[in-house]
Amino acid sequence: MAVGLTLIFGVMRVVNFAHGDMMVWGMYLAYVLSTRAGLDPYLGFALCAAALFVFGAAVQRGLVDRIVDAPHEMQILLMLGVALVMENVALLVFGPEPIRVRSPLGAATWYLGPLYVDVARLVTFGVAIVLTAALWVFLYRTDLGRQIRAAADNPYGALVIGTDVRRVYAAAFGIGAACVGAAGALVSPILPFQPSTGLSLSVTSFNIVIIGGMGSLPGAFVGGVLVSVAESLGAVFLKPSLKELASFSLLILILIVRPAGLFGRRAS
Amino acid sequence: MPHTTRRTFLRATLAGAAVVAAPLPLRAQPKTFKIGVIHPVTGPLAEPGQACRLGAQMAADAVNAAGGIRSKGGLQLELVLGDTQTKPENGRVEAERVVNQGARMLMGSFDSGSTAAMVSVAQQKRVPFLVDIAAADPITANVAKSVKDGQQKVQYVYRNFPTGSSFGRKAVQYFTEMFKEAGVSPKRVVLMYCNDLFGQSQSRGFQAAHKAANPGWDIVEVIPWPEPPSDLSTEVSKAKAAKPDIIAPITRPASAQLLLPELRKQRLDIMGVVSPGSPGLYEAGQIAALKEDLEHVATCVPWANFKNPKTNAVAEDFRKRSGGKTFDTNSGYSYDGIFIIADALERAAKLDDPDAIVDAMRKTSYGGGLMQYGGPVVFNELGDNPNAITTMIQILGGKPVAVWPKAAAVQKFVFPRPKA
Amino acid sequence: MKWAGALAVLGLLALPLTLSSYALTIFIFIFFYAFLGQAWNIVGGYAGQLSAGHAAFVGIGGYTAAMLSIEHGVTPWIGMFAGAVLAGALGALIGYLGFRFGLRGFYFVLLTVAFAEVCRILVSNIDAVGGALGLYITFTGNPRHFQFQDQRAYYYIALALMLLATGIAALIERRRFGIYLRAIREDEMAAEAAGVDAFRYKMFAMIVSSSLTGLGGTFYAFYLFSLQPNTVFGIPLSVEIIIRPIIGGTGTLVGPILGSFILTPLGELSRHYLGQSGLHGAHLVAYGLLLIAVVLFLPNGAYPWLRARFRR
Repeated sequence: MAVGLTLIFGVMRVVNFAHGDMMVWGMYLAYVLSTRAGLDPYLGFALCAAALFVFGAAVQRGLVDRIVDAPHEMQILLMLGVALVMENVALLVFGPEPIRVRSPLGAATWYLGPLYVDVARLVTFGVAIVLTAALWVFLYRTDLGRQIRAAADNPYGALVIGTDVRRVYAAAFGIGAACVGAAGALVSPILPFQPSTGLSLSVTSFNIVIIGGMGSLPGAFVGGVLVSVAESLGAVFLKPSLKELASFSLLILILIVRPAGLFGRRAS
Repeated sequence: MPHTTRRTFLRATLAGAAVVAAPLPLRAQPKTFKIGVIHPVTGPLAEPGQACRLGAQMAADAVNAAGGIRSKGGLQLELVLGDTQTKPENGRVEAERVVNQGARMLMGSFDSGSTAAMVSVAQQKRVPFLVDIAAADPITANVAKSVKDGQQKVQYVYRNFPTGSSFGRKAVQYFTEMFKEAGVSPKRVVLMYCNDLFGQSQSRGFQAAHKAANPGWDIVEVIPWPEPPSDLSTEVSKAKAAKPDIIAPITRPASAQLLLPELRKQRLDIMGVVSPGSPGLYEAGQIAALKEDLEHVATCVPWANFKNPKTNAVAEDFRKRSGGKTFDTNSGYSYDGIFIIADALERAAKLDDPDAIVDAMRKTSYGGGLMQYGGPVVFNELGDNPNAITTMIQILGGKPVAVWPKAAAVQKFVFPRPKA
Repeated sequence: MKWAGALAVLGLLALPLTLSSYALTIFIFIFFYAFLGQAWNIVGGYAGQLSAGHAAFVGIGGYTAAMLSIEHGVTPWIGMFAGAVLAGALGALIGYLGFRFGLRGFYFVLLTVAFAEVCRILVSNIDAVGGALGLYITFTGNPRHFQFQDQRAYYYIALALMLLATGIAALIERRRFGIYLRAIREDEMAAEAAGVDAFRYKMFAMIVSSSLTGLGGTFYAFYLFSLQPNTVFGIPLSVEIIIRPIIGGTGTLVGPILGSFILTPLGELSRHYLGQSGLHGAHLVAYGLLLIAVVLFLPNGAYPWLRARFRR
């Protein structure tokens, strides 16, 4: 999911506070697909991604586009407004109970002697790698991908050489949203969710993106791994309720020592 | 420029004032008795908050249908509803609002922060306040202390809910009794809890009570997690490493959905999962989501007395009106709360004097509650009901049933749990 | 301008004569958030350093005064200044790290958020300060305990806080200091080239802002009678603090006040009218939509827009 965020921020410098809520919408969509159409989330995630792509592109076109030149804080506020609307629409539609999508895969576990492997997590991890790789190929090997990167580096330059920057932005935002949509569907059998889950997801993903590096795909990936390792270590060596302390301390450290993140280039 | 500034500023000020002052006309000569009922119906605690509100509404309907407050000429109850969104400041604002709309008593408000803010309004404006749910001990104790020290004249705050410390005492007592009844002697208990207001209050109460009772089993490890958690695998590994006989988790609905499958996946060899207090674990949605992982799990919660036929009728009605939810701690205590208020109003010498209502509240001895009590509802010197107790329930055959204490048990408990 | 201000203050001083206690409560929160917004405005608006962790200062201030009062019987009238000092110290630490290492824009936002979160997690886990359970303050109604039986006392204190922060902001705006801050916000390099010691001025703004905010923590604690780490150190409170000056117009004296006069009643009305409907959450959807609308149509905030309109 951090991959989606890094794309949105890396390209457009928009701080997407609705990120976690987009993910929650992806989860609810997976839930609806699974309960109404019997579609397993491990298959349904593609549909969720598609739906979120359309939604993301629409948000970009209809809202963010209008204030690209406005002060930075206005963009933050805009996305906060979007987040508030998304969370409470979910509350209106689905109610406040935490739910989880049931999938046969979600319950499966392999045992290797004393070790055990959670199949659902393994699959999620695998799909995440594949998606990240696909996204990398897209960004570096296709025309639209190159345009997105060009627009990120220098929007005016891109405009001069005839890129439709607005279209490119919409595509980038849409793809970013699609990534979280897919991620939401994929973790929906593992992670119970409710409308108010969005905020903590947003904070976690900001954490990951900063640690890994803004605008860097491998960075987002490594950042994700680092954050979970730091939290696990924190849980083992400190009190588990202090484990978030580990990831936030890591964040502060990275911000001070290497604000561009481990893999990022400095965005000024 | 100075001119325009003045105008804009004044305009804004006046608009603001008009907006605030406008929407609340005061009605003269109330024909109903208004009760401000404030719960968190939106935000993170929206689920229990909505259950509370519905419980209170159903109780008010029932009181009114049965003829209202008979000694006061069949006076009807009218609820003025409020929403805290789980923010303490809204507890204060909403309490002020409902009082301004004519509420002459308050009931609420589930989370202890908002409740504490409401307490100040009750004491400031002399509005009797029945806390239907909120477990933090200081809420009533602080007011009692203030009265004792002569800082306040009258205590307007009463609570019909087990306090954090009584939760713990009952849990330790039931644990010990059940182990004995089952003829087993587990030694090692691992306490796991969600580190939020509720979880910490429960776990402190449990540990304090365990220390005081010295019951022959030990709490060998205490593992808190941040709520809501995104993953509990490390926590469960840590618990497993302590070689427990019993896992005693204090969960919220969301963390239960992570914890229980994780316990199965990591194949913990335990006699059972017995919780000192986990709200919502017994909900139909939880049972559907967790299925076999929830079977045989026992938890200590305030529970309705289903041996009472009236409870079953109300629970059935509640299920219909809530879209399939269990009549539980939240809906039940809010339901009883309205009846306790009605009982006090019935006995109060007059209703236009809050101190008369308080007098009646203090003399309460109400036996008609639908929840499982240790005796009639009474209020002690702190303003708490010492007879508000918890019940051990267990999920058996996909249904929550009361299993302990014996007097409340509907079925015999299954413990230790059968080996898979 | 001076006349308008004096007149408005006079009006506000007289208001409690006519309003109900509920309306006063709304005004108290309008003033309180205008105060917090104004305090934030000093560093977030004038200096352009976007802090999204100001809740941490409310929390530190509130916890300090509450602990001193509960454990040591120190009156909050003294405790509030102890709280302000500690909040200022935390502000200095965050400012030092942020400014010394040149964190700008979004990076500074995250640094402040991270510090607030660290405070929240630490306080939740330290039993001596109440842990996740929080602190509960005994209601006595005794002015010595910063508590009042009469709602009007709180009203005047909140008003005084708002005027205090506005006065300090006005002082800063008028002095050379304010000009430096704005120069830093517009173009820090150019300002430095012109000989402005950006680090020093930013630090100063941060410390003033965080100390003032810490003062607010005491008011929060002794008006609401409990402190929980999730509410007073949480991200939602930080958002509440910054949202008002941004809506009203950052870097202006009137902005935070105007923003608070718009948003606080709006939140109240939407909760009141839509919250009763049984459609739980509808009022927050409406609030969110309004927020979006304001951003789209008044991207510089309400006050600059009003000013421009009246100039025309």
